[in-house]
Amino acid sequence: MAEDALLAQMRDLQDRVPGVTGTAVASRDGLILRGDTGGVDPDNLAALSATWLALAQRLTREAGQGALREAMTRSAGGYVVIYAIGAKAVLVLVGDEGLDVARLHRESFATLDAIAGLLAEPVPYRALQ
Amino acid sequence: MNARSWGPTAGPAGPLGTALADCATAGFSGVLHVIGAPGGTIYFAQGGVAAIETPWSPSAEVMLLRSGRIREPDWEAAYAAAAVARGHMRSELLSRSLIGAGELEAMLRSTLADAMFALAAGFVDTCRAEATTLEHVLALEPAADAAWLVAEARRRMQVLAAFPDPPLGARERVMAVPGALRAATMRGGGRDEILALADGRRTARDLAFALGHGLYTTLLTIARMRAEGLLAPAAQGAAEPDPRTYRQASPSADAGAVSALPRRHKERLPQPQRSGDPNSRPLPAVLRLLRPRAEGH
Repeated sequence: MAEDALLAQMRDLQDRVPGVTGTAVASRDGLILRGDTGGVDPDNLAALSATWLALAQRLTREAGQGALREAMTRSAGGYVVIYAIGAKAVLVLVGDEGLDVARLHRESFATLDAIAGLLAEPVPYRALQ
Repeated sequence: MNARSWGPTAGPAGPLGTALADCATAGFSGVLHVIGAPGGTIYFAQGGVAAIETPWSPSAEVMLLRSGRIREPDWEAAYAAAAVARGHMRSELLSRSLIGAGELEAMLRSTLADAMFALAAGFVDTCRAEATTLEHVLALEPAADAAWLVAEARRRMQVLAAFPDPPLGARERVMAVPGALRAATMRGGGRDEILALADGRRTARDLAFALGHGLYTTLLTIARMRAEGLLAPAAQGAAEPDPRTYRQASPSADAGAVSALPRRHKERLPQPQRSGDPNSRPLPAVLRLLRPRAEGH
């Protein structure tokens, strides 16, 4: 099942990167698709991530810096990182203070690629019913 | 010694042990990058270890803030003042009476020992030394003896290896045995907090960060709790999904996408549902709407 594959990709990233405590994939209009957020409200996470992604992309365009690769917040309690998945979805990660940011940079691309492939996968017409 | 590296064939003590011994002997000042899993950075000052950063071991900042020993606003104020004055966080914490010099030194020495244990318990491929001025937010003064840190890490590994069960890895998930967490039953010794958080999706390392305890302390408590039958390693995929429900796509939110579909399907979109396991339910309609439909349908 594609939805299980999506969750598997998110958990695989958690396994590979120390410090990732939660993940979610949301649509660009802020609706949660799949999440393993570790206690963070997935609906709020999805809605805020979609808004933040739009603002971050606008900001990078304004600054003339090309395509957005990621947007990250660092606070006293840890990190929140978002990535665009194609033009239709967003991946958001929640991490603790020990998040291995360097490893995340390396490992995130394969996950984004795999999730983008899952979201683009054609589904039979009956699945819409 | 300005720049040097130690690979897998560095010597009988391995790249980390050899690099630490060489840096101590040379009176090295700078950073030693440890490449591996977890890997990390060791800050040297005149041959002593002043600070260590690694993703497997909580820093002194995490421990001080999570324990409530220092309040977050006080920490932020001290940090800002140290940054503006280009001074040291240590002197700011002491001058503001947020912590005593002895307690801070003990705390920093303890976090160094824990971080060295985390590095030694993991896999080290290569170490690379780079001479530079010490720039760490909270370094130990005077710096710790590298040989003592290595010996202490070895002792800790031996303690964990002495338990009947094989030692749990820092990145292995752990979960409470059913029935172990009982209302109105306090077990003490940090067990209750671990039982409450050991949901099968957190690793030992995650528990250490969540609780603000050292990795070794957490692994030791977990080993004792395993021996008492309270905890068990979580099987792959055993993690319970979040007990949250996800809002299904509302017709209004998907108006644009839905309008491209036959009307009868819009009417059949699932209604908002707030119960049950979200990850076991069919994929929300919004995801299906993101996908191109298969050819011929």
